[in-house]
Amino acid sequence: MITRRDLFKVAGVGAVTLLAAPGAVRVTHARKKISIDDSMKEHLGVTLSQVKTSNLINVKAPTIAESGANVPVQVKANIPVDQVQSVTIFADNNFNPWVTTVDFSPTNGEVFFATRIKLAKTSPVRAVVKMKDGSLLMGVKEVKVTVGGCG
Amino acid sequence: MATIGRAIVRVPRKVRKGQAFKVQMVITHPMETGLRKDKKTGKIIPKHVITKVEFLFNGQKVTTIHSGPGISKNPYFAIMMKVGGSGNLVIKYEDNKGGKWEKKVKVNVA
Repeated sequence: MITRRDLFKVAGVGAVTLLAAPGAVRVTHARKKISIDDSMKEHLGVTLSQVKTSNLINVKAPTIAESGANVPVQVKANIPVDQVQSVTIFADNNFNPWVTTVDFSPTNGEVFFATRIKLAKTSPVRAVVKMKDGSLLMGVKEVKVTVGGCG
Repeated sequence: MATIGRAIVRVPRKVRKGQAFKVQMVITHPMETGLRKDKKTGKIIPKHVITKVEFLFNGQKVTTIHSGPGISKNPYFAIMMKVGGSGNLVIKYEDNKGGKWEKKVKVNVA
């Protein structure tokens, strides 16, 4: 026979599981978005405000991208390739803003790189050129995304 | 499903000496970020991405691309090259699950 006491016990267990459930969900989502500053520090050793914007670097990307899963990006720099070490692409609002780093060599002839990237939402796309003397130059292009592409 | 790791590489049929030319490639690869969930099972789909692409011309390193989950599915890469003479362009690429592939293309410089 079910007593009143038993009912309370069952209710109590139910309440505990209910309270515990949101906590469990939070644990699986504990990995937080990496900020653009942290990402730049990891890959270039400097924060965003320390990088100079330069009009020598041309970032070509659509102003409005219909799907964030596939955004064509093209980076060109009016700098002799033998002075350039690498080009790094960042997308600020992605979960992990770092997209790619490309190391160049004089055999490349010119500083050019094209690819297709994912964008979670509307975000500036940054291309940072690292010169052989250690200085950094950045080109930016804002891309509006109607549908995100990072699941 | 198309085979993972298959690549198509395109170079101009003939290159004039001293002229820069474009090398384009597309790799068949899912590029899973490791953040997406399977809608049916609710489980996280494990990360599976191309991590490195190397372009070697006659054994010499031309370009290295370090890529990650920010690159689209079936990644496309294009670079420029300027070479002194004909030779073989070898492209080596690998993913985070230990997949390693190689693709060889001839470059004819006239």
